[in-house]
Amino acid sequence: MTAKSTVAGLVLLLTVACTATTPPRTQPATATAAGSPVCAEPRGNPPPESPTTIDVVEQAYFCILANYYSGATLDARSLLTAGFAAFVQELNRGGRDVPEATMPAFTGDRTTDWAAFETVYRRVTGRLPDDAELQGKLAAATLQAVVAALDDDHARWNHAGRRPPDSYDGDQYGLGLHANIGRTANPGTALPPLFVTTVPGGPAKEAGLRPGDVIESINGSAPFAGGEVTPAAVAALYPHYPEAGAVRLRMLRQKTGRHWTVTLKPRLYRPDPATLQVVTPTLLGDGIAYVRLSGFAPDAADRVFHAISRLRAGRTLTGVVLDLRGNGGGSPDEAIRLLSGFAHGKVTAYQCAASPNTGDGACDPMRTDDSVPLLGLPLVVLTDRGCASACEHFSSAVKDLRLGQLVGTRTAGAVSGPARPYLLGDNTTLTLPSTHHLAPGREVIDRVGVAPDHYVPLTPQDAAAGRDPALGEALNLLHT
Amino acid sequence: MSHAVKHLAVAGLIGLAAAACTAPPPPRTVAAAATAPAAAPTGAAALPAPTGSHPVGATTLYLKDASRPDPWVPEVKARELMITLWYPARAGEGRRAPYMTAKESELTLRGKKVTGVPYDVLSRTRTNAVDDAKPAGRAGSLPLVVLSPGFTMPRSTLTSLGEELASRGYVVAGVDHTYENYATTFPDGRVAECVACDSDTDPGFGAKVADVRAADVSFVLDQLTGPHAKWEGSSLIDPSEIAMAGHSIGGAGAVAAMLKDSRVRAGIDMDGTTYARIPKSGLSRPFLFMGSAGHEPAGRDNSWDRDWKLLTGWKRWLVLPGADHQSFTDVPLLVGALGIAVPGDLSPDRSAEITRTYVRAFLDRHLRHEPQPLLDEPSPRYPEVRLCTPGGAACR
Repeated sequence: MTAKSTVAGLVLLLTVACTATTPPRTQPATATAAGSPVCAEPRGNPPPESPTTIDVVEQAYFCILANYYSGATLDARSLLTAGFAAFVQELNRGGRDVPEATMPAFTGDRTTDWAAFETVYRRVTGRLPDDAELQGKLAAATLQAVVAALDDDHARWNHAGRRPPDSYDGDQYGLGLHANIGRTANPGTALPPLFVTTVPGGPAKEAGLRPGDVIESINGSAPFAGGEVTPAAVAALYPHYPEAGAVRLRMLRQKTGRHWTVTLKPRLYRPDPATLQVVTPTLLGDGIAYVRLSGFAPDAADRVFHAISRLRAGRTLTGVVLDLRGNGGGSPDEAIRLLSGFAHGKVTAYQCAASPNTGDGACDPMRTDDSVPLLGLPLVVLTDRGCASACEHFSSAVKDLRLGQLVGTRTAGAVSGPARPYLLGDNTTLTLPSTHHLAPGREVIDRVGVAPDHYVPLTPQDAAAGRDPALGEALNLLHT
Repeated sequence: MSHAVKHLAVAGLIGLAAAACTAPPPPRTVAAAATAPAAAPTGAAALPAPTGSHPVGATTLYLKDASRPDPWVPEVKARELMITLWYPARAGEGRRAPYMTAKESELTLRGKKVTGVPYDVLSRTRTNAVDDAKPAGRAGSLPLVVLSPGFTMPRSTLTSLGEELASRGYVVAGVDHTYENYATTFPDGRVAECVACDSDTDPGFGAKVADVRAADVSFVLDQLTGPHAKWEGSSLIDPSEIAMAGHSIGGAGAVAAMLKDSRVRAGIDMDGTTYARIPKSGLSRPFLFMGSAGHEPAGRDNSWDRDWKLLTGWKRWLVLPGADHQSFTDVPLLVGALGIAVPGDLSPDRSAEITRTYVRAFLDRHLRHEPQPLLDEPSPRYPEVRLCTPGGAACR
């Protein structure tokens, strides 16, 4: 949903906001993008999705070239090649491979290459049954691969009503557990063992799983092979609707040495409402305000400020611990606003026009909002691999500008740039970053992440005992 | 107490949460149609006259529920509510009932980011009810209807509907769900602002609001119908004929209130995504969904389809493809005063007439037990309204 007018407030309704069970990674930036003629920003609620067609793939291809931050310079053949590969794989999967399914030669001219691609695509699909579902599936696989070829966490195709029809606001879908390695495991940073960190509800809770339980295998596959994580195995812990296959886990409870196997079937479940709050404030001993922020949702910064001022009422605070572990990001405006409570007159990030890897992009600074009152309190920020996007904007600025100290583990490295949505002809949306994000020191955070000042990982023993060593370190730092 | 209100209530920046929603999950409520350029303001609005035969009176009541802390400001140890009653009155002269206070007008317009008009303009809206007029009617004869507004909207934005129903012989209670709109004024002058706006992006927020509203409505019914009723006209109410109608999240509140309180015999949801969990055994009392284009069956919002299967009694699903989310409220009637464009494709008078007509037909059918052919077939008089059959043919 996008705001459409600054004038007609009453008309713009008063919405109760989004249903995201986890805060989204990206959100539109403040500046308005008109979009290009090939694909515009969605207005209001688009109608229901229709089957994807080759025309939609074409629209997405040209939408990427027109709007993606390196769209003007990237080699479009890489997108078409990836799309074609996915197309023939999908054909093959359905047992429908045909001799004509051979990739055309590309010249490097984006328009004629597309025409060549489309000609072959239509020739092949013309030989298949005129079945909307089959044709839609082929086009969807192709489109998905074209977007994936960007290899950018923030470039996504959002499609196929992912919401279970009988879900309620706040419901989540899945196995009902979180582990120390998330859905997109990074082979460079995921360390064994794989273990449960939280059990918000659902099948995992009913099966009696607890934080600290080690997951030794997933559907018979070891999560680590030769010391390196197997992302596909770990991803099975986090099924998305409509994936409904049961997941068999071999578990170890270290404290008792017990090994056992559980089979969890993903379904809708209702997490503890307290765990759904975006802002959770607590007053800790010695006047330390602890605020967990699970996402940079709209008004997140003001909510944090309000929470701190409430904790501050009638007492003297000595410091702030901002817990951003698992904070999947959100609006960069909120990250800037929150930073503005800790510093004025600073650049919090740069948004650059083209990929810094290919050089020469012009960069615009994002600056603190100096109308936000300074809190004047020492700050410690807790981070982990789940801190992504706007969360990394925030963390990198705290570190580079020395606004406080980071405690925990390295952030996700998923902050390519603020993404904008574009509506496609089948009423799905494509989200693309139009600029590339750099930290205040002009370093790239995307794929790299932000290293904490104090590396304090969580162990299964800590999780099992309910200990939070990172928070402990944060309190030590604030007390000294 | 006043300290708490002052300290915790947060005005401002919050309301247009719309901007917030992000790609993956569908938004909770249906977006307004694209906004046309604003028109020049025309001065204060006058609400259309009600069409029934009874003169209409209006009064406000302050109700305090000491049995629970405020759900939004737990430091406040009671839930305080302001309600407006519209009711059939004895004929007589008197001052027109105020629409809202100047301060409420200002906070509401600031909350909605409406600029370019005097901040008190809503308080000068001309109503058709006589302030504190004497209620009229036989004892125990008047059906009661609770009206619950949309999130951030004050109860007064359902005045056109409330006056109409009162002119037709209903007692109508419009409820301000404290801290869920930009301004509610208590008799001692304190003004509660939109504290709930602070958490309106949290998952599970809608379910919480619906639950709070159900509790509010049960308390209001206690206060209006019990042995210690708080209103001089309470004895006129027939406590066995009570319904609730709500706009937007107020409609979600209607489902929740019916599940919680069997005194609510029938319910209407005007364009609101629903949140309460109807048990598998179903809800067998009459219910009407009436929505804009975004609430067609199998649309982006799954909630009506989900609940439809669990509604096991009399039910209807109406869609007005030309309506906007606000077409069911006073907002279209206020556009001139606010200098904004008419939301949706219906003229303000037309959207008010359709809302009044269909809500009244539903209430006459289920509280007065009179046949209402209007609800059984598409009507040539109201071609804007489609009758839908989820899972079956397209709306007709």
